[in-house]
Amino acid sequence: MAASRIMETIPNGDGDDDLFELVAVGRSCRAVRFDVTHEDHEDLEAQHSHEPRHRNSLQRNSWSSSTQRVLSSMPSRSIRWNQTAAVSQYQSRSTKTRRRRPPNTPCTANQEVFREAQNCAVDGTQKEELLNKLQDLSAGECVRLLREMPLSFSEKHEIRSLVFCLKAEEPISANRALCCHQFKACFLKVLCGGWLRFQLWQKVLKNISARFGTGVLSYFIFLRRMLHYNILLFLISGIFLLLPQISNPPPPSKDNDTDLWMVTGTGILTDSVMFYGHYTNHTSGNYNIPLAYIFSIGTGMFVTCVMLVYSISKSFGKSFCTFKTTGNIALKVFCSWDFKVCRKRSVKLQSVNICTQLKEMLSELSCRKQKRNLCSTLGWLSVHLLVWSICLLSIAACMIAVYYIHPKIKPGGHKNNVELLTLPLVVSCISHLLPGFFDMLSRGEYYDSPSVHIYVSIARNLLLKGCIFSVLCYYWLTKIGYSQEGQNKQCWETLVGQELYRLVLMDLIVSLLYIIFAEFLWGLCIGNITFRRRKLEFDIARDVLELIYGQTLVWFGVLFSPLLPAVQIGKLFLLFYFKKTSLMKNFQAPRKHWRATQMSLLFIGLLFFPSFIGALTCVVYTMWRIKPSSHCGPFRNRNMLELGKKWIINLENSNPSMQWLSWAYVHLVDNPLFLFIIAGLFLTIIYIHMQVLDGQKMIIEKLQEQIDHEGEDKKFLIAKIQALNEESAQL
Amino acid sequence: MGNKQTIFTDEQLDAYQDCTFFTRKEILRLHGRYHELAPHLVPMDYTNDPDVKVPLALIVNMPELKENPFRNRIVESFSEDGQGNLSFNDFVDMFSVLSEMAPRELKAIYAFKIYDFNVDNYICKEDLEKTLNKLTKEELTPEEVNLVCEKAIEEADLDGDSKLSFADFENMISRAPDFLSTFHIRI
Repeated sequence: MAASRIMETIPNGDGDDDLFELVAVGRSCRAVRFDVTHEDHEDLEAQHSHEPRHRNSLQRNSWSSSTQRVLSSMPSRSIRWNQTAAVSQYQSRSTKTRRRRPPNTPCTANQEVFREAQNCAVDGTQKEELLNKLQDLSAGECVRLLREMPLSFSEKHEIRSLVFCLKAEEPISANRALCCHQFKACFLKVLCGGWLRFQLWQKVLKNISARFGTGVLSYFIFLRRMLHYNILLFLISGIFLLLPQISNPPPPSKDNDTDLWMVTGTGILTDSVMFYGHYTNHTSGNYNIPLAYIFSIGTGMFVTCVMLVYSISKSFGKSFCTFKTTGNIALKVFCSWDFKVCRKRSVKLQSVNICTQLKEMLSELSCRKQKRNLCSTLGWLSVHLLVWSICLLSIAACMIAVYYIHPKIKPGGHKNNVELLTLPLVVSCISHLLPGFFDMLSRGEYYDSPSVHIYVSIARNLLLKGCIFSVLCYYWLTKIGYSQEGQNKQCWETLVGQELYRLVLMDLIVSLLYIIFAEFLWGLCIGNITFRRRKLEFDIARDVLELIYGQTLVWFGVLFSPLLPAVQIGKLFLLFYFKKTSLMKNFQAPRKHWRATQMSLLFIGLLFFPSFIGALTCVVYTMWRIKPSSHCGPFRNRNMLELGKKWIINLENSNPSMQWLSWAYVHLVDNPLFLFIIAGLFLTIIYIHMQVLDGQKMIIEKLQEQIDHEGEDKKFLIAKIQALNEESAQL
Repeated sequence: MGNKQTIFTDEQLDAYQDCTFFTRKEILRLHGRYHELAPHLVPMDYTNDPDVKVPLALIVNMPELKENPFRNRIVESFSEDGQGNLSFNDFVDMFSVLSEMAPRELKAIYAFKIYDFNVDNYICKEDLEKTLNKLTKEELTPEEVNLVCEKAIEEADLDGDSKLSFADFENMISRAPDFLSTFHIRI
């Protein structure tokens, strides 16, 4: 093709302009090719003197030229990505699940991928085979395979056009098949909040990751994920519960216009769609509000559960590693550079961090771990015990404090609205300030590795928040729910809903105050007072646990206050912008390496197991055991779950077409034998998977041994060739 | 469907969408970024597939790559001539591999190419030394560099030839779940 020349002036860093000649060059192969014939003079340089014993035999400068010629024509030296091998590897992978590789191909498949080729261009026969194999796959799988090929774009384009010409008579039908596949992918993406996940706050997150790296970014991504869950919950309860109730409002009750109604949830909010008490207990029009209440909340929780489990499984897949982390230095060299960071100062900081960590690793290697004698072990143990006992005592003290502040709020009446705010204020202050106290205490402790330190502080924080939440739940469900006080004119559900509303709002207010005082003002002090103008460091674990605690309250409170997810959405938005501004102004990039993938898995696991499951357990217990109040809300004196059960059983009478649902419920869901069988089946499947995993681990060990043996064989044969060549040279 | 744009034909956009991990909107945005790098060189109309390459010096000036110590190697690994001159196809390819959705195996292949400075399909000790110097901005002493390189090769080399082949490299990467999140550039 004709070469066209364009002269372009580009400013370089020194202030002048460089003149560049831009020539359109002919296409050449981008595949990596090792030139096999010429001698490598660099190899003849002196090798390092501290080479380990078993590698001395492979020193190149001791080989004769005939041996070197043989060595340089070894198949492994001339590599080229082999497309057909990759397709067969893909096919064998896609027939089973994507994550599991067939046991006999893990290493050989990789060797197949890099195999010798005669010339660098895609030659005819290989192309034929590849096209034949691609034709067998569906359009979606074809596209997936195309994307994962490590070829240049032009080669992929060529393959794609050939495949689609061969697949269908006209390329238009191929495009239509692709369109369907794209539409399906798009639909699934939207359903799973794809728009939210990929478009919302995109630029802001990019700025954050450019300055602070992946660790701090993971907090904001977690926030965005929780926003998504709350939006979904709000949509479900909004469409099925809120709208029908708003369209048929009950007669308004008397309005005591109290002050601070917005913060305390009293006054005009008491008898609004915000809280349980407002919802009617009869069927308005054709729409059964009590039933809608149960089913919309149940569906919301079920959808959240499914999405959480899906996220956990995806995170687990990403962070699963088959081996123990023994190769630390190599991993530090190759995997620790965060490519997202692109501000000059942050990059410099990252280099310094990696340098420091490498030096620490080297010093650990050189001096052996000193055996701790009895004295220092006892000292270390006693410090740990002391700190743990202080933490546990303070947690117990907080639990008692929270329990005893409660009786001030009696269902009968209250004098001052401000009194209502003492409990939420105390709880929020405890949950924000005590973790900082624990961190200060733990600075005196000695840990073997920084990750143990992080896990211990997360455990303490989690214990604190879990205990506070359980005390609150215990108080609400036993004291208020079961209280048989005579003149119980108020709805206990609305009261609990109001308390939860106050807790969520107070949590937001205290968080914002904390950001203003502890981050802005304190950061200003630190920056001006200390000599090196040090800034604060972002404590990712603590902030994520705050988010998880807030979300637990919302998940529990959605039963008593269906609009609580909307409040949480507003809270998360505000928190995002405040935290982001504070981060940019007051914080510096973190000094320690944060294992983002594993920590994300831990946090989403914590979101599911103690937080969601705990809230769900409390909700189910409330629906099942506790009697609803008798003169307000959708379930006056009727048990919530019983209502649902009766409705399903009566379905066959009222609506003959839904008879199957009623039958399914009576014979499957309500049947203990069937549930027992299902549980047994799940346990069996889990056991089988565990055994398969063990078997694969064993195979991996054996294959590793095999690689070692092959290496030994290779050295042996090379030595033999050398010996033979020397003999024949002498003769 | 969507807005009427005249930069690419629909068929071209479909091809980009199938062969990379980007959507149509992102491809158009990438074209805008590519055009910004050399406005006199890169045409706005790509319908007849012009053969235009932006040189290395302009590409490494992008804010995403400017401070990255491996910027030259990254761009060279994705260029067809090995010198770092990227056509738009190579440009899209590069950011597609470095995007969030690329799988671990694909990223490992290109990471291996990036760290292989002398392009001999092995990461030998000299490659490791260069990598280390770029990582630490030459803050380590030569003895420390030597020690780290030896230890790294000892840990990762499985077949005992004192350098890392792709199989060794991929085996080592599989132990680091963080690799997926760190080997990622947002554009």
